[in-house]
Amino acid sequence: MAKFTATHQNPVSENMPGKNNILRTELNNGAQLLSFRNPSSPAVVIRGYLNCGAIAESTEKLGTASLTASMLMAGTEKQTFKALNASIESIGASLYFGAGALQTTFAGQCLREDLPKLLATLVEVVDSPTFPQAQFERYKMQTLTMLAIQAQDSFDQADLAFNHLFYREHPYAHPQSGTFQTIQGLTRDDLVEFHQRFYGPKGMAIAIVGGIQPGEALQICHDSIGTWARPKQNALPELPAFEPPQQAQREHIPLEDKSQTDLMVGTLAPETMSRDYYACSIGNNILGQFGMMGRLGNSVREKAGLAYSIQSDLGGGIGPMPWLIAAGVNPDNLEKALRLIRKELERFLNQPVTTTELNNSKTQMVGRIPLSLENNSGIANALLSIERYGLSLDYFSELPSILESISSEEILAAARRYWDLNELVITSSGRAY
Amino acid sequence: MTSNIQQFTLSNGLKVMLKEIHTAPLVSHWVWYGIGSRNELPGKTGLSHWVEHMQFKGTQRFSGRRMDQAIAKTGGYWNAFTGEDWTTYFETLPSSALDLAMEIEAERMRGSRFLAEEVETERTVIISEREGNENEPRFRLAEAVQAAAFQQHPYRNEVIGFKTDLLAITREDLYSHYQNYYAPSNALLCLAGDFETQKVLRKIAKRYGVLPTSEVKKDTPQPEYAAPPFQEIEMFGPGEASYIQVAYRCPQGNSEDFFALTILDSLLAGPSSLNMFGSGGIGNRTSRLYLALVDKGLAASVSGGLNANIDPGTYNLNLTCNPAVKPAQLLKKLDQQIEKLRAAPAPKKEIRQAQKQAKALFAYGSDNITNQAFWMGYSSSFADYNWFLNYVEKLESVSPEAVMEAARKYLDPQKRVIGYYLPQNGSNHG
Repeated sequence: MAKFTATHQNPVSENMPGKNNILRTELNNGAQLLSFRNPSSPAVVIRGYLNCGAIAESTEKLGTASLTASMLMAGTEKQTFKALNASIESIGASLYFGAGALQTTFAGQCLREDLPKLLATLVEVVDSPTFPQAQFERYKMQTLTMLAIQAQDSFDQADLAFNHLFYREHPYAHPQSGTFQTIQGLTRDDLVEFHQRFYGPKGMAIAIVGGIQPGEALQICHDSIGTWARPKQNALPELPAFEPPQQAQREHIPLEDKSQTDLMVGTLAPETMSRDYYACSIGNNILGQFGMMGRLGNSVREKAGLAYSIQSDLGGGIGPMPWLIAAGVNPDNLEKALRLIRKELERFLNQPVTTTELNNSKTQMVGRIPLSLENNSGIANALLSIERYGLSLDYFSELPSILESISSEEILAAARRYWDLNELVITSSGRAY
Repeated sequence: MTSNIQQFTLSNGLKVMLKEIHTAPLVSHWVWYGIGSRNELPGKTGLSHWVEHMQFKGTQRFSGRRMDQAIAKTGGYWNAFTGEDWTTYFETLPSSALDLAMEIEAERMRGSRFLAEEVETERTVIISEREGNENEPRFRLAEAVQAAAFQQHPYRNEVIGFKTDLLAITREDLYSHYQNYYAPSNALLCLAGDFETQKVLRKIAKRYGVLPTSEVKKDTPQPEYAAPPFQEIEMFGPGEASYIQVAYRCPQGNSEDFFALTILDSLLAGPSSLNMFGSGGIGNRTSRLYLALVDKGLAASVSGGLNANIDPGTYNLNLTCNPAVKPAQLLKKLDQQIEKLRAAPAPKKEIRQAQKQAKALFAYGSDNITNQAFWMGYSSSFADYNWFLNYVEKLESVSPEAVMEAARKYLDPQKRVIGYYLPQNGSNHG
């Protein structure tokens, strides 16, 4: 086989977000603003989070945070559902909300001249939603329909089963969308109470990126988000300690009428942005991402032809996250695919990655930085990560040297701290096997 | 988006479109082949898509793994898509790695191996891909509805092909397809990003200009302009959820009617994004069907969509039903909304909102180099790049009367296919 005649070196972007061009400031009410100007864009993207989420729900009220977030756009003290949504859609803007375990997130986009309108709407809906009863019944029906769809989705079923086996008593075991029983039991008052107790600017962060000067974004925020006050905002409960399962776990959720079985194999991931996390990020890239899904892709897809998709993902987030291998396989090939995955994990844990693999992965991860920061939403997500994990504003300039400092021995040692082949959590869903 | 593109044709017939964008040190490099499921014959469905898979397996000079690793090392990404009218391959990577993308694409335009053992491994991978699709009730419903919406035209087939064909296709079928259609004269190279046109033209001539030309003959189907006769399809599956898909005839992409139908779709089901690579969308909570069906508690969701194709295709409306509501009741309400659009022109204010939304979606896609290169090739597949440049203007010129005429012409309740996916225990028949 020939070598490529083409050569290349990763470029250095002059416009990389960093401390010289990111505005990071605290508004009067404690909310954090991060803003970056993308001069080529006629649009503006906002991304952000509030310090409230599903961890505050009781087990009888699962789905409260999610339904509360979904219903913010269902009407406010000033506007009906129709007027509120018309005010956003008529200008070609968008504004969406969702809830995770610890944060309620929002995402929006508009043409640059419409940013004041978008931010004013954001404040209006988080401050004074009315959760109209008729809308509440519709949103409940939509959630129940979504749960009915989920109940027949092999990927969702394998994922829910994994969370249940892996997290056990920890709040992350709970489905954030709720269950049939809890959603049916929720009342409008549950949402009103949840909103009153936990919504507020304390712990809020917003990133604004696009064709707008950060100073102008700050002024608009002062006049909108900065005016939001909730003196009685409650703190979220503490995230409890977590011990990963100490023995192997396996569960299959039968779903007949499925051509394919979804499979998940996982363990605990290192704390996000810890030293181990960077080492395992490179290791994970080699295991199940680099090129056509890494070593796993080469073994399970390319050589054995068992799966269209197989990859491993190192979970990122606050609190205990899983390191997860996921594949979709023919039901008759389930055990064969599992054996190949085990074999690759054994190799991964028995010998260091090769120098070539290490160098290739590092080069890729560094080269990917400018691509991930190509557009407004990519940059806005990056700014939120800086805020969420307390990173330096120059994080993206510093990341290459962090990655460069990691050796294959460090990856092996780190991976061994998290994977134990005798303690794997394995779930699948599809036809009975 | 600006119109600063340069167009060339090499002596071997390869068409080239170049667009310099210097906002980031990135390039997006695409090669489009004028071959897709539209050109496939009965018994050979899925050939184009399978050939696309084989193009990642290696050439005379480079193994698939080596190509894959070379792209990955740059931090860039590559992929390919097969559609009804085309097959396309792209790399988005640092501009300093542009040579690599050219070297790979020029090499695999003529030099792929199609090893017999790799054909067999890929057969099971593609069947696995199809089985993953079959897990989704919406895929199974869409496949049945699409098949009923055409008499003979290959648009009736899913691009991935029938499983029976995937089991029977041979290495020779695949290699013949590759040799016949992967030629400079059947290809379009699109490049957007951080490069200098004159320098890059010399590189293109060096890499691609030396490839031999050959005449390409394709099986071209007869377009089916007429809408399908009224049909209803029922499918059953486990669980509680039920879905409805309604398919009407849609004009071909280069038709003036296409723009009126795009506005009509926006009024009915909300604006659809043009962009293949993210950049966000706009909600549909003020669309007529959302307000009439979802906001009234009859459906959990509604969406609409039409594709720009060479030949007339389908305009689809998709509903996820409220399990407590009979699908027939839902359909009746849907028809009432369509009848209103057929009976009288929509208010100008509503049309203007749809036009502003289209303009905003167009702007959102402009911060993404991959989208920009995609649109050069995609619009050229059924029209030309002017189609894309004039897209917003064309939509802004659509009048309320034109929308009404489009509704009358295309949304005839007697000329459509209605597909129902219902719980198999029969709890939601109707």
